[in-house]
Amino acid sequence: MSGRGDYEQRDGDEEEEEEEGLDEHDYKHQKDALLFAIEVSDSMMKKPPPSDDKKADKDSALSAALKCAYQVMQQRIISSPKDMMGILLFGTEKTKFLDESNLGYPHCYVYTPLDVPDAVDVKKLRSLVEDDEDSEEVLKPSAEKVNLKDVLFCANQIFTTKAPNFGSRRLFIITDNDDPHSGNKKENESAAVRAKDLYDLSVIIDLYPITREDEKFDFTKFYDDIIYRNPAAEVTQPNRVNSSKSGDGLTLLHALVSNINGKQTPKRAYFSNCPFEIGPGFQISVKGYNIIQKQVPARTCYVWLDGEKAQIAVSETSRLASDSARTVETGDIKKAYKFGGEYVYFSPEEQKSLKDFGNPIIRVIGFKDRSLLKFWMSIDKSIFIYPSEEHYIGSTRVFTALWQKLLKSKKIGIAWHIARKNGNPKLVAIIPSSAQKNEGTPGEYLPAGMWLFPIPFADDVREPPETTCVRTTDELTDKMNLIVRQLQLPSATYNPAKYPNPALQWHYKILQALALDDEVPETPDDATVPKYKAIHKRCGGYIEEWSKVADEALGRHEEHKCIKREAEDDDDEPRPAKKSRITVSKNANGDSGSALNDAALKKRIKAGDLSKLKVAELKHILAGRGLDNKGLKADLVDRLEQWGEDNL
Amino acid sequence: MADKEATVYIVDLGSSMGDCHNGRTESDLDWSMRYAWDKISATVAASRKTWNIGVIGVRTDETVNPLAEDDGYNNISVLQELGPMNMTAMESLQSKIKPSGTSCGDSVSAIVVAIQMIEKLTKKLKYKRNIILITDGEAPVDPDDDNLNDIADKIKDTQIQLTVLGVDFDDSEFGIKEEDKTAQKATNERLLRQLAGRSGGNFGTIAEAIAELDIPRLKQTRPFKSYDGPLTLGDPQVDPRAMSISVERYFKTHKQAPPPASNVILKTDHASGSQSAQTRDVDRMQGVEPTGGAFASVKNARAYKVNDPDTPGGKKDVEFDCLAKGYQYGSTAVHISESEFNITKIETAKCFTIVGFIHQDKYGPFLNMGSTGLTVAQKLNDAAAMKLSSLIHSLHELESYAVARIVTKDGKEPQLLLLAPYIDVDFECLYDIPLPFAEDVRSYHFPPLDKVITVAGATLTKHRHLPTQDLIETMSEYVDAMDISTFGLDDEGQRTQEYAPVEDVYCPPVHRINQVVRHRVIYADQPVPPIPPILLKYAQPNRNLVEKARSALEDLIEVAEVKQVPPKAKGKRQRDAIKPISGLDVDALLQTPENKRTKIDPNNAVPEFKQMVDNAEDIKTFEEATKQIGHIIRQLITDSLGDVNYDRAIEVMGVLRESLINIEEPGFYNSFIKDLKKRLLSGELGGDRRELWWQVKGAKLGLIDQNMSDVSKVTPEEVAEFYKK
Repeated sequence: MSGRGDYEQRDGDEEEEEEEGLDEHDYKHQKDALLFAIEVSDSMMKKPPPSDDKKADKDSALSAALKCAYQVMQQRIISSPKDMMGILLFGTEKTKFLDESNLGYPHCYVYTPLDVPDAVDVKKLRSLVEDDEDSEEVLKPSAEKVNLKDVLFCANQIFTTKAPNFGSRRLFIITDNDDPHSGNKKENESAAVRAKDLYDLSVIIDLYPITREDEKFDFTKFYDDIIYRNPAAEVTQPNRVNSSKSGDGLTLLHALVSNINGKQTPKRAYFSNCPFEIGPGFQISVKGYNIIQKQVPARTCYVWLDGEKAQIAVSETSRLASDSARTVETGDIKKAYKFGGEYVYFSPEEQKSLKDFGNPIIRVIGFKDRSLLKFWMSIDKSIFIYPSEEHYIGSTRVFTALWQKLLKSKKIGIAWHIARKNGNPKLVAIIPSSAQKNEGTPGEYLPAGMWLFPIPFADDVREPPETTCVRTTDELTDKMNLIVRQLQLPSATYNPAKYPNPALQWHYKILQALALDDEVPETPDDATVPKYKAIHKRCGGYIEEWSKVADEALGRHEEHKCIKREAEDDDDEPRPAKKSRITVSKNANGDSGSALNDAALKKRIKAGDLSKLKVAELKHILAGRGLDNKGLKADLVDRLEQWGEDNL
Repeated sequence: MADKEATVYIVDLGSSMGDCHNGRTESDLDWSMRYAWDKISATVAASRKTWNIGVIGVRTDETVNPLAEDDGYNNISVLQELGPMNMTAMESLQSKIKPSGTSCGDSVSAIVVAIQMIEKLTKKLKYKRNIILITDGEAPVDPDDDNLNDIADKIKDTQIQLTVLGVDFDDSEFGIKEEDKTAQKATNERLLRQLAGRSGGNFGTIAEAIAELDIPRLKQTRPFKSYDGPLTLGDPQVDPRAMSISVERYFKTHKQAPPPASNVILKTDHASGSQSAQTRDVDRMQGVEPTGGAFASVKNARAYKVNDPDTPGGKKDVEFDCLAKGYQYGSTAVHISESEFNITKIETAKCFTIVGFIHQDKYGPFLNMGSTGLTVAQKLNDAAAMKLSSLIHSLHELESYAVARIVTKDGKEPQLLLLAPYIDVDFECLYDIPLPFAEDVRSYHFPPLDKVITVAGATLTKHRHLPTQDLIETMSEYVDAMDISTFGLDDEGQRTQEYAPVEDVYCPPVHRINQVVRHRVIYADQPVPPIPPILLKYAQPNRNLVEKARSALEDLIEVAEVKQVPPKAKGKRQRDAIKPISGLDVDALLQTPENKRTKIDPNNAVPEFKQMVDNAEDIKTFEEATKQIGHIIRQLITDSLGDVNYDRAIEVMGVLRESLINIEEPGFYNSFIKDLKKRLLSGELGGDRRELWWQVKGAKLGLIDQNMSDVSKVTPEEVAEFYKK
């Protein structure tokens, strides 16, 4: 009935269910646990030589690593609030394992226990990073060498006990030492055995080496023995990351952050090994990924304040029959559709069959020119697909051949697609993408591959409202062209990375301030607000010219229209007086975009006869001034009078 | 849409309608009623009070109508007065629609009755008025031409749309010609066709109307304004010269969701006696139940718990009333008082303003976050229309899009939109789609498709994952052969049109559910009908197209050499190959004295169990490993304070189960899990462990059946039985 963990909670909210990834191993939690293992040593703590260059590195490798971990922690609280993170320092003089245990691993210090971070963790790490407040005196290297075997087993125990049954567990090692045991074979071997344990525990080790100047990080000395190819990753992916170092205008911190950010989110497939039928009887397999996913603030929760510490109350849902308030067992519940006030009911088998449009598939039904996919044909975000060799050997080369052909010939595939069992079928366009890079950072922000782009159904298309078409003149368009040319975004492209979601950031900024007892900030950063001053500086003149030309063109247009109307009026019976009055007042004030110009409005307000206008006219006037135009007539009049007082 | 409607159906119930004709196994009446019921039930479903339906039977045994006194109005019965339709009315109607014993009754007279009914209800008000006559035309009709003309005029005057649908009436366009028609029927067809023609109505054969039932009907929605105000460039507050155009924004696309199903349960008073017998009863009725009937809706009730180390389960219930609202920051609960609850909401003012412009070819549509909007100039505002037009034309000429920030109302979250120009003969607008923010794009890394980079960092251009020139060429030929840009048929039957255009693709789940629900309402005792072919039209490539591309596909298949991985080989024994990047043989290391493990360490259970199984030489070792790990699992559970160790136990069980499926020893797992279930439910492992059993069931860690492992002796039915209780 209740509290059956994650498995049952999905039930009910279908929309949400759609968002969740498909479980490959359904007994595992779809959660991620990320443990940083950061080496503390003299070389890691060495500060870069002082420099007058403002952009020069000021961080030691250790402090860059900790800062990076702090950034990741803050990001994860926003992007994956249910996932865990921890920090393990190694090579420290001090030793500390999880609180409740005496069992220690020499020179391993659990600085932030692996858990969903809380305010205390964030604050503690922040003071270490920003204020150098090392209250626990941990940043002191030990005199004797740390043995990697201990570090790895320590991590093993942390994962085993703190993140049991997690679908994704990762260990990020940050170090500048490519030979921790100085070539001691026995020690290397015991570390390799412990690394194999981690592998068998499904923990993925990622190494983030740090180098200085012309040093090389030699993987073959030791680290190649403990790092495995990621079994979940695509076949040919090497697990080596470029070493982070400062230079080329990048600080060490920058280099590290961009290296780690690329891997920070665990790669979860939205669907796995979906058959991709390129033609009848010709299949390969692909995996799907939700690369585009709307990030929203976590929902509100209920807090219990009567205890010593504020606690989040966990809710358990049970189902009650509305007639008797008795608890209902899942097996007794039937699904019914409301139909004209009645319930139309289907047996569970029938209900199931209604949703059955076949097994998961991407079935190509043809190819089209790219130009036939119109801009307006958008209904939902796209899913990224990438080949997988798991079910069909040769998938990758076939996928690549198709990808190249579509790119080259500017074509798209059209396919019938069912993402999961009992999922709703859609028609999708298969669009190829080439990799897109962010300037100044390594790696791409959008990968090369293909996308399943949902095409709207006939049912999803709405009729446009009725409009009268008034065309621009060539002269006016030319004036506008000047403005459009002036105000291009950098490299004439939209780069999402430049625009953090202001509402989301503000939400967490305030929460963070409240949680950490900081001062609540005054104004949000909002990169989406246009740079008005720059716009006016660059285009103020052009806009003015454009307005002038528009007024002239409009004058001619009105004249033309009047002549035409008079001609019509001669034949037709005269229009009702009221209607023509509106048109007249409108003609007199073509440019303010409202049915009554400000002067006329002022006059009316003074005379107090706004209420003589019709509701429709009032609404129109309000709308023209960007005001709310809903409500009773008296409200509309009030609102307009108020506006007049404030603005005229 | 919200228009008022008055529709009268006139149904011929004469005895001849009870017969089957022209090879049909369904009586003419049942067949024709498919159309009428479908239309009537659609009205019921809409449950609009302003949609009125009346039903008249012609050639009924009785005569019940307001004009019964007059001549020529016998054997006509008003079966349902003109009024709003509901299920009860429909059910009572269903019992009345039966072939009668008579063959007399003038269907044109019935039209007169219908006109009267409509006039009485609608008076001079604004209504959509319809009369739909369904008949087989076998009964004599008063052929007086003047009379017919009068009636046609009356229909016109009253603004009624008359539709005559005849059983097997001839229709050359639809392709029906009944050869052995009776003389009476031929005459009637001619008369009715005249009447419909003169009154400006429709005349057709019922087969066509029935065929059209499968074509999904699109729901009309009123244009919805999502923004109404100025579109600006620059800020009028900063500089009064800023550009400002009064615009209105509407939806262009909006997802139509399938009708939702509600959770219901049999009411308690209905459940008296044996509940299962009752349920079966309802099943047999193939239920349509009034909302006040046997079903009650199901509501969700929530109980709240917090951690409390002092209580036995580690958790205690708390009253909802003593909880405060808040948000989670990591695992910290941040409580925000009611009065300050908006503190985390960003303060915004309504606006729609351009941020900048980009090139059209530098944007990929896969960044789109959702559905399309449409922006036009404010109604009746020529100035705004002309100004907006200049922006639209400029974007078009410069092949650019505009990026704009929109806040639809004060206090709403800002959203970035991409605006694109659209110019048609007499319509112009800006289309827009929502753009992703930085947080909405996940950074996932994938190896490049067009090259292979080895571990050592070398770049390969020839590899089994890279297509050969041959493959590239055959793929290209196949894609070109399968082109459907102009595969659609035009009016002349030529393939010049786009195939599968948006307006021809209907949302299958929406119409499937509408179809079966209507069907169930009309034919409560029949099984669910099959999916109409029109909904599956684009589920497969067109047969002619496939035929055309056949040889290209055959070449492609040959060159591609794709091989399916046999299901068995997946995962099985692949672990032998697992080595770190250096290729170090760790398994061999594990055999050396200093690393050798004989007994599984409970603290390192998963890895050591896997290694023991991997390196096992004989079945005895498997058995031993299973025994040891089983013991560890039971110990974990016994030691668990509350549920703290449950996840660990589940993880180990999952690994155990997977391993034993891989090495084809499901029997070991099955006996383990049977034994564990018994112990969990008996409370032998440190107390009440039913909660864990729920979790085991939820994680599907029960018996391994034959579908999962060929060598299992357990059937799927036994598994289902095992999960019960």
